[in-house]
Amino acid sequence: MFAVCTAKLTKKACQIAGKQGVTLAGKIALRLDPSILTALAGQVREKVFVTCGTNGKTTTNNLLCSAIEAEGKKVVCNHTGSNMLNGVVSAFVLAAKWNGKLDADYACIEIDEASTVRVFPYFQPDYMILTNLFRDQLDRYGEIDTTMNLLKKAMEMAPAMQVVANGDDALSAYLAQEGGKDPVFFGIGDPYFKEESSREIREGRFCKRCGERLHYHFYHYSQLGDYECPGCGFRRPELTFNAKDIQCGGKLSFTVDNLRISANYRGFYNIYNILAAYAGARTAGLSLKNYNQVLAAYNPQNGRMEAFQVGDTEIILNLAKNPAGFNQNISAVMEDTRKKDIIVLINDNSQDGTDISWLWDVDFDRFRDESIASVTVSGIRCQDMRLRLKYVDIASDLEPDVEKAIRGKIADGVGNLYVLVNYTALYNTHNILKKIEGEKK
Amino acid sequence: MKKSITIGHLYPDLLNLYGDRGNIQCMMKRCQWRGIEARTIEYNLDDTIDFSELDIVLLGGGSDREQMLVCRKLQEIQKDFKAYVEDYGVVIAVCGGYQLLGNYYQTDQGRMEGLHLVDLYTEQQPGRLIDNIVLQSDLCEMPVVGFENHGGRTKIGGNKPFGKVLYGSGNDGESGYEGVVYKNVIGTYLHGPLLPKNPQICDYLIGKALERKYKEKISLEPLEDLEEEEANTYITKRFL
Repeated sequence: MFAVCTAKLTKKACQIAGKQGVTLAGKIALRLDPSILTALAGQVREKVFVTCGTNGKTTTNNLLCSAIEAEGKKVVCNHTGSNMLNGVVSAFVLAAKWNGKLDADYACIEIDEASTVRVFPYFQPDYMILTNLFRDQLDRYGEIDTTMNLLKKAMEMAPAMQVVANGDDALSAYLAQEGGKDPVFFGIGDPYFKEESSREIREGRFCKRCGERLHYHFYHYSQLGDYECPGCGFRRPELTFNAKDIQCGGKLSFTVDNLRISANYRGFYNIYNILAAYAGARTAGLSLKNYNQVLAAYNPQNGRMEAFQVGDTEIILNLAKNPAGFNQNISAVMEDTRKKDIIVLINDNSQDGTDISWLWDVDFDRFRDESIASVTVSGIRCQDMRLRLKYVDIASDLEPDVEKAIRGKIADGVGNLYVLVNYTALYNTHNILKKIEGEKK
Repeated sequence: MKKSITIGHLYPDLLNLYGDRGNIQCMMKRCQWRGIEARTIEYNLDDTIDFSELDIVLLGGGSDREQMLVCRKLQEIQKDFKAYVEDYGVVIAVCGGYQLLGNYYQTDQGRMEGLHLVDLYTEQQPGRLIDNIVLQSDLCEMPVVGFENHGGRTKIGGNKPFGKVLYGSGNDGESGYEGVVYKNVIGTYLHGPLLPKNPQICDYLIGKALERKYKEKISLEPLEDLEEEEANTYITKRFL
């Protein structure tokens, strides 16, 4: 109880000081009471979900939380995306009452893949949603093989956990089949794109089971698609939740389980996020009949396609932190055919990954388009970003200070601005945009 | 007559971990900006390589597992590759590719036989050497900047290193040197990728390839390198 109180006070103090303070609160709580996470997670009355995977964790997990809440349930969730051990502890501690009691039917917790083995000793979830596996911050996480080994170990630590995995991703499907109990798969059964970018970086082209080169019937993007191993017969599993009749561009819609789902989102990748949350909740026996209302009401406040309006300028802030995510971001930006200005902000702090070589694995040449009025590069590694663009014949303006870059484009831009940032810039850029939005009202 | 260059990119489907595409793009662009025709042939694991049509070979880095798959294949082309190197063929080998140039790479999973193109060897040790890195190389005036991330420690014996380490770890974290230069081969742990931020190294490779192909002294037309120099200087200023 003392730990809960101290943690809550810490979070308050940090907020007053202008910092997020989520992970610090968790750290202090766990230090004061090492059993606190086990105790609080044990108070969840029905099911505990965790969401893992390189991209889409936060959106999927928050959607899942909203969907379950719409069924009249109480849910614990780490909304801000603080997803390592301390962040997970915080989610539970901050949801608890001052007397240490937790009033929750469900928990929806996103966990950084590498942290699963640190969290699972405290509690074993009932379900894991596995969104996808892409290369990400090689200097921090190492190769994908390392991440897969950790997830496999985590699945062994929670033998009763059911894995709900992206069947279009050979890496996730392999893991779920190897490690999970009665895995369930979601995916997009039929090809959607007429042409595919052959240059895109794809992971795991070789069968994880036997080492043969996988044969692909088609790709959606990156390595997601319909695959089959000529060597051992490993193939895309049957999709229990299969998104059909997809429409994409401006807004998304598709049919699953005879339910037509529509959302006012951009970005093909969001189909996977919407579908993953749906598959998770349905697997746990929830009806989700109000899912469309949930999607309509869902307004991301966390820099995932977050919209701002400053005078006549529409601004979209989006997180892009690895090649697969960035390529999907570019697709989402290009779905908007109006004239637009782009700001790309690249930092190399330790949470971003200090190695920024991945910029060269992103298909930035797609910004060489008539609809792109200007590109401004910002952040700690703006020079690297400018150089990256030079080698695809795109001239860019350099402005290390993102606030100046944003204000500049509000003043002289085309009124449609996309700000794409990597991890450590997200919180700060979000606050800057909130501030500017407030000034103009 | 318009000059032309052919770059062979070896196994990009397996060895593509650290933005190696950037090295290819850099060589292509810096040729094209000078009116030199450039093309790249990508070789997958099942393809046959005719070294006689190549002017520059790029061997990139992959995960340990993928490197193991490549390493078996490389034994089949070892002879041709060796002949190309001895005939002053230009090679740029990065990270895993650098390790594969040598005699072997000893990991805790076992021993990977190398190509025996350069007399060097690599042994894995606990702890990866991960950071930005700055070198002084005889091959260019500007400092060489990049990023290193390797568990292997490479011993180059009496060979000439690529550069002296000004910041970072280099070949083995002890010798104070990084990479290797043998004939027209450069092996290095630097990615980032290497060539865009070190345009003089890129031009060195292009120059050597043209001299070998056309058997004449080549002086490359200078390019406007403001963005390259500023990206390079940012790293040198930050870490030195």
